[in-house]
Amino acid sequence: MPTSEPLLSNVLWSLATVGVYLAARALNQRWNRWWTSPLILAPAILLAVALWLHTSYQVYIRGTHWLMLLLGPATVAFALPIYEQRALIRRHWPALLIGVAAGSSIAVGSAWALSSWLGLSEALRLSMVPRSISTPFAMAVSGDIGGMPSLTAVFVILTGIMGAAIGEGLLRCLPLRSSLARGALFGMGAHAAGVAKAHQIGGEEGSIAGLVLVMAGLLNVLLAPVLAVFLR
Amino acid sequence: MGLSKYVWARSAIRLRRSRGWQMGILTGLWLLSEGLVRLLRLPVPGGVIGMGLVLLLLVNGRMRPSSMRRGAECFLEYMLLFFVPAVLVLLDHPEFLSWLGLKLLVLIMTSTVLVMGGTALSVELYFRWGVRHAHE
Repeated sequence: MPTSEPLLSNVLWSLATVGVYLAARALNQRWNRWWTSPLILAPAILLAVALWLHTSYQVYIRGTHWLMLLLGPATVAFALPIYEQRALIRRHWPALLIGVAAGSSIAVGSAWALSSWLGLSEALRLSMVPRSISTPFAMAVSGDIGGMPSLTAVFVILTGIMGAAIGEGLLRCLPLRSSLARGALFGMGAHAAGVAKAHQIGGEEGSIAGLVLVMAGLLNVLLAPVLAVFLR
Repeated sequence: MGLSKYVWARSAIRLRRSRGWQMGILTGLWLLSEGLVRLLRLPVPGGVIGMGLVLLLLVNGRMRPSSMRRGAECFLEYMLLFFVPAVLVLLDHPEFLSWLGLKLLVLIMTSTVLVMGGTALSVELYFRWGVRHAHE
């Protein structure tokens, strides 16, 4: 792709990203394997093409940044499923809050302990800590505690991809009777990708997952300044 | 005159029910909240403020669910697409395609299993405890 022509390169990379995603999604609907998941297959193909054409991340993201911005209105859209499950939420918010508190502590604690054990650098470790919350929150927390927000975004996405895949297996192992626990598992462990997966399992699970994602994000953003003191 | 007014009203209704219009409204609300966040220097992403705003409008009855359903469903359906470009940051980190990358994958996988299990079990235990006490 000619990088000397910015407009053309921007349009082509946008079209390529949307096209590859739609193709991967269609394939995944036909043939449901973990590696045909659009969050694995689409970036893998785009990475291969970008490496082949020697395109830098700067050039790629210049053309496709608008797609990431759409996460903003998508977050606003979460208001609808949450509103529609308000009765369920009013009845069970203490259980969800306990799940979010437990999940967030395990997320921060295990990321910290495992990074130290594997001997990761300070920057990687701090970027890994906010991994279990949704991207816009996670990038904010990462900046607050001294990590690298762009790296955190990648860890968040890898968490989402793997979480959505692992979650299904975990559901079969754990004796979960309530849709609350099933939804919280996906919302806390795999944020947006998990919410999408939870919606496939059931409408109640999906809405709970969406709510848990938001609660976890809010709790972590509010606690980030406190966390920064402890981690430094 | 009466007829053209009728046609006008009908097309206005059709516009308000269209996906594009509703997505536009959600985007507008997001831009508004993003501006608010910048102005007041809030520590919360603009999308979250926008979500709170829409929830408030829905609860107050100022906004009907039907006035945004098609737009919201479209955004949620294609949400995974909006994450794809972020993964390409790996182009800037060739060191991840090595031993370090494998370590990171193991870390993320282990930590995610712990988070999911811990969250689900604590919610489930609290839920069962609540059910048992409701029967007493």
